[in-house]
Amino acid sequence: MNSKELKTLITDWRVATLLILIILSVIAISPHFDQQGHLASNLQYGLDLQQGSWLQLEFRAEVVGFTTDQTVDAFVTNLSKKLDTEVVVVESTNPTHLEIRKYYSQADLEPIFASEQGKIISYQQGVSKSTADLVKRILENKINTLGTKDAKVNTLTGLNNIARFIRVELAGVDMKQAQEIVGKQGKFEIRVQTTGNQTEHVLSGDTITSVQTPSQEPPGSDKWGVGFTLSESGAAAFRAAAIKYGATADPAKHNLIMLLDNSTVYSAPLSEDLAGKLQSDTIRQLFASTGTGKSGTQQATNLEIHLRAGALPVDVTIAGSGGVSAPLGERYKTMALLAGIFALITVGLVIYYRYREPNIVLPMVMINASEIVILLGFIALIKFQMDLPTIAGLIAVLGTGIDQLVVITDEILHEGKVPSPNLYLKRLSRALSIIVVAAATVVIAMLPLALMDLSTLKGFAIITILGVLVGVLVTRPAYGKIIMQILSK
Amino acid sequence: MGLINYNIEKYSPQQLVIIPLAILAVSLVLLALTMASTGMPVTPGIDFSGGTAVTIITTDTREQIALYFADYPLSDVSDMNNGKFLKFGLMDEAKYKSLTSAINQRYPDSRIDQIGETFGKTLQSQAVLALIFSFIGMAIVIFLSFRTFVPAVAVVLSAFADMVMTAATMNIIGIPLSLGTLAALLMLIGYSVDSDILLTNRVLKRQGKLNDKLTGAFHTGIIMTSTTLAAATAMLIVSWFGSIQILIEISAVLLIGLLFDIMNTWLTNVGILKWYVQKGGGK
Repeated sequence: MNSKELKTLITDWRVATLLILIILSVIAISPHFDQQGHLASNLQYGLDLQQGSWLQLEFRAEVVGFTTDQTVDAFVTNLSKKLDTEVVVVESTNPTHLEIRKYYSQADLEPIFASEQGKIISYQQGVSKSTADLVKRILENKINTLGTKDAKVNTLTGLNNIARFIRVELAGVDMKQAQEIVGKQGKFEIRVQTTGNQTEHVLSGDTITSVQTPSQEPPGSDKWGVGFTLSESGAAAFRAAAIKYGATADPAKHNLIMLLDNSTVYSAPLSEDLAGKLQSDTIRQLFASTGTGKSGTQQATNLEIHLRAGALPVDVTIAGSGGVSAPLGERYKTMALLAGIFALITVGLVIYYRYREPNIVLPMVMINASEIVILLGFIALIKFQMDLPTIAGLIAVLGTGIDQLVVITDEILHEGKVPSPNLYLKRLSRALSIIVVAAATVVIAMLPLALMDLSTLKGFAIITILGVLVGVLVTRPAYGKIIMQILSK
Repeated sequence: MGLINYNIEKYSPQQLVIIPLAILAVSLVLLALTMASTGMPVTPGIDFSGGTAVTIITTDTREQIALYFADYPLSDVSDMNNGKFLKFGLMDEAKYKSLTSAINQRYPDSRIDQIGETFGKTLQSQAVLALIFSFIGMAIVIFLSFRTFVPAVAVVLSAFADMVMTAATMNIIGIPLSLGTLAALLMLIGYSVDSDILLTNRVLKRQGKLNDKLTGAFHTGIIMTSTTLAAATAMLIVSWFGSIQILIEISAVLLIGLLFDIMNTWLTNVGILKWYVQKGGGK
């Protein structure tokens, strides 16, 4: 091929798009040698391919659709008492679902609902999306304070907005540590200011029996805060300390300070109202206000997490877990790379056996490899974590990719003759129509996996779909152009 | 490719489809038998039934391993290239935690995956849904693009036969349905229709003698399947050397499925198409 032909080839938009994408992908992957002289890149690896652990937690709670003859508020209060747990109305304009934060089977719940003039319409184990998000924030918080860097927490929410599972992935942490991190609670304490900077212990976190979600007090006032409930003994200790150190007599001088793992997370005086009430009575239901507007809401959200001291609003059990040791992960990585290269070579050999013409075989294999490079570039760009199923997906893309190049080549080379440009276009479009149908079926077949939360297979499905799309939109048309140029010589 | 001489001129459509149909029938019976005994057409693996799978790199013998894990519900030990793949039954959280410590102590170089029973059940129901949706989606695409009944049915039937035969073979040789093999089965749905679409297109949209078109389609189609077979074989060999259980399973299922696909495309699908064309359908 002379330089003029080469120039017309690369200025063709199909070929140009391919070249530009390859260059961008290489930049995105940016392979380089790190300080130790190891080959490194921007690609991120999932837990399969580096040391790490994952835990899948299941919520011990359920979301129940209900109707009742009572008012919703009264119904919820009574239920909460009978079930001895928090019952929360799932937020929506028209309350139809309750979240019960303790595990009961539907059969257990039915008589209790009936005794409160209620009826169960639907029952599903799990929590509402907002509770799942709260759990996610608490877990993230906990993991961050422990200095674990590479952590991912994902709630798996179904189509009905009910989450049953939450998945925690911790890179560089072994299973034992991971179980400890998720199980560990912080040390929560309330202290009272005595004189100057001196403080005294009032109560510790175990006397807090429940923590409510952030709310406005009075309702609709834009004054945010978090309500929480103390046990009988906790409330007594709170009152005794408040009176003893003068917080009821002179609230302004005696702030109440909340500490989590010995650092202050909240500090404010008793309200005049509460100070007065505490003089005469123990109070179990307290409210810590955090201010107004957006910052008030934000602080209330954080305070809620702190009040829980890393404890989750809902009990969880470990539904699944796993981990890979560092050397094994490293080995898997090498093997996966080998599998990819080996697959490309064998595919190349099969193609060579068929066509025996380097002018056809080389472009085919190069196009095939370029597809993988573009996919890897995309994976690096979206910071997708590659795992073993993703690699299987990449090798599968290699297999389908070459299939379709064979279809194009054979359609065009029909009866071994090189066609005229007109006939060529007709044949190319016929080949492309076969490819588009084949591609559509692969995409459709993988779509359920990509949309469902079948744990690790989501990545595999997304990569396969992407691979097919890159092939149909970019690399196959470019190949059609290149092979024409080569054959017309 | 001159290795195989594909000439089916002398066979009638009935002769072409009889062998695949017989295998399909046997496979369906096998799946029904498995369904009757386990509740699932394919034996569910740990991903779906719950349990713990452990890969360890070790030179210990099976007996040594069985002895070391005597306190735990060890159900199976299988050999890998330079290690062992262990399966444990269901256990409670405390037992599982002690198992993790035990593994870490003696086999620090390991991979552990534990799936609880309820999580497995959830995955299982989603997996069944995914398979059904994929298959229906594929069928819709095929019907929409062909718009002729018999050829479309031929393609869908071939894909169905691929999956059923592959699933039956998995039962026979003891590959369980895991997340990995599920992925492979779904991939087969996509792969298996590739050569069928090519075949149908060639036969219905090109001019010429039926037998020439079939031979031409075979030349292209068999090389398509061979390349995919080559990629899957490469993956199987490397993952076997590297003891990567999930990749071994994925590539094994792909290999089995692709071999059945050759039969179902060039006997089942061709048989039905031949009958359709001889009856006067198509050009």
